[in-house]
Parts: sequence; C-alpha cells; structure tokens
Amino acid sequence: MTEWGLEQASDGSALYVFAVCKDPEPAAFAGLPGVTTGERLHRLRFGELTAIVQSVRAADFTDEVWQVRMSDRDELGRYARAHHEVVSAAAASCPTVPLPLATLYHGEKRARQALLDETERFRAALERTADHSEWGVKVYAAESPVPEPGSDPIPPPAPAVRSRPAPGAGLAYLERKRGVQARRERRHEDALRLAETVDAAFQDVAAAGRRLRLHSPELVEKGHVQVLNATYLVAKHRAAELGALTGALRATTGARIDISGPWVPYSFVGEVQ
Amino acid sequence: MTDLDLGRDAYPVPGPQNTNLADILERVLDKGIVIAGDIKIDLLDIELLTIRLRLFVASVDTAKKAGIDWWETDPALSSRAARNSLQDENRELRERLEALESKTDEASDRR
Repeated sequence: MTEWGLEQASDGSALYVFAVCKDPEPAAFAGLPGVTTGERLHRLRFGELTAIVQSVRAADFTDEVWQVRMSDRDELGRYARAHHEVVSAAAASCPTVPLPLATLYHGEKRARQALLDETERFRAALERTADHSEWGVKVYAAESPVPEPGSDPIPPPAPAVRSRPAPGAGLAYLERKRGVQARRERRHEDALRLAETVDAAFQDVAAAGRRLRLHSPELVEKGHVQVLNATYLVAKHRAAELGALTGALRATTGARIDISGPWVPYSFVGEVQ
Repeated sequence: MTDLDLGRDAYPVPGPQNTNLADILERVLDKGIVIAGDIKIDLLDIELLTIRLRLFVASVDTAKKAGIDWWETDPALSSRAARNSLQDENRELRERLEALESKTDEASDRR
C-alpha cells in the first residue's frame, strides 16, 4: 500500500536509531547492549554522516507496547538508560546529535532515506553544539509552611450560647486571611526572584539556556520547593567556571542549587523555538 | 559543502554517572532532534509521566505499601481500569434508566 509497506517486516524487524554522528568509532559502543538482546549496535552511513542503529523486533516497539512500557517504572527506566548509554558512548568518541527515545524505521533503506532528508538539520545541530556540553541546574527554596487561617494560634472565641459572634470577629478573621494571602504572595515573589537570579548568572556563562518543567511537589524532597529547573549549553572551556559560580550563588542566596553534567546536549540539538 | 569544523577533541564528554531517572527522561523523552519515524509512537511527556507514576519517589512496591496505588485505576494508565470504568459507568446508567422507567411505569399504572 504505502512505500514502506513493501519493506515492512518480511522478517518482523525494525531499525531503532539512537543518534547521528560524524565518524563514530565502532569500538566506542561495541560492548553496549542497546535496547534489545542478541542484536549488535551498528553504523548506518548516510552521506557524510553516520547513524548508530540496532535491529529490533518490530513487535516489541509498537505504540501499544510503549503505552504499557510507560506505565512501568522499571521497564521505562531500562529503556531510557539503554538509549542514553548508547548516545553518551557515541558522544564520547565523536560529535553526536541524539535522537529521542523510540525513533524507528522499517529497515535500513527507509532509515537512510529519512536521515538523508534531514542532513541539513543534523549539520546545523552539530555546528551549534560543537565544543559544548549541557549542564542541568535545579534550584530549591526552603519551604516555610503557610499556616491556614483555621490553624491560627489565636483561639476562636468560645461559643457564646448561640448568640452572635463577638463584635469584630469577622474582621479579625478577614485580617488573618489577608495576612496568609500576603505571606503566600511574598513567598511566591521571592521564589521567582531567586529563579531569575540563578538563571541570569548561568546565562552569562552559557551559550544558550532552556527552562525545563518544574518537578511537581511530590517529586521533590520534603521541605524543599523547586523554583528553577533549567539546562544550559556551556562551552567546554568555560565548564570549569560552573563550580565556582554555583558555590557563589549558594552563598549569596542561601538556596539549594543542584548542578548535573556534562550531558550530551540533548536539549540544544533541536531547533530553537 | 564546507566541512564542519569539528575536531576530535570537540565532542562533549558522556553524561554524568549515577544520574537519576528524572534527569535522563527529561532529556530522552522530548529533547534530541525529532525526526519522523515509520512507526508512530506517542510518548507521554515527562510531566504526565511524573504526575501519573510518581516515578522517582518510590518504586511501585514501596508506593503500594504506602497506599499509593491510584494508577491501577487511572484509565490513562491501565486498559483494564479503562474497561472497568466504562463498565461501571454503563452499569450505573442502566440502573438509573431502570429506576426512571419503573417510576414512569408506576405513574402510568396509577392513571
């Protein structure tokens, strides 16, 4: 029916593409398992570039299978790490553009054509990220619980024999509520300011920066509120500055600042929106 | 075409060791150059994953012990749950319909 229908899985296999590289050395990833067993990772040459690929059982990589896989923490973790491992190993040996998890083709011919069509994007990404690494920065503010109006230390007036509340009780309640609201707003502004301060400082060192989604409170260690989850593209020769910068920011803001890296620049190979 | 100026020492070093899964998923799920594959796969984005699975807080077993087992009945995560919720809704609707019909029957009997 379609062009690829012909090639589709006479042997039930599909081709998983991990990354696109410039002159990768096979030794760099030779020992890695990839995302399946019994099939070696290999190189797929297209024009001047090379993809790192692996032949997989198509039946193990359908959308249905992935939907189930994504509801299993361990399973998803295994695939994500396997993918990341290959990308990182490739990047250690040559300039590399990572592809996201689960990019699959019906065979080498299809993959080569699709990759060739994107050659310019790969070249641009390689150029943009050459000599750079990605560094993740997460900032946490200490959580100071805002008391709810009901839990205020001022005890409610004793119920006076089904009469009206004491004069001014309603006003006091409103004042308390207003106070809580004001504290909450102040805390929110403080968090925003903290995020801006740290982001600006890293932007100064970085060639580019991106905000990632903040982690939901359940994922963050108790007592902390994540106020910044960002990632930066930093030239290799400036990476040494990051440690000192992080230390200085910790000292001036008093906030917890976690830094991770160097990463293969996953977040900076796509087109900048 | 001009050759890219990429020396052997120009590549970034591999990712940090012992990275947590959240950091990796944040990058491999929706970053990287996205090109159209032959097989269409809709990966949940990291936000949905973290919200629904609380992936990085606890393993499923630990979560279950703590009584966090809502994903088993989250229709988006379990086809069984989806089926159950449809069946439940169906049953409920049927019951309401029966109740309504019996009421109208009673009403017409009385006339």
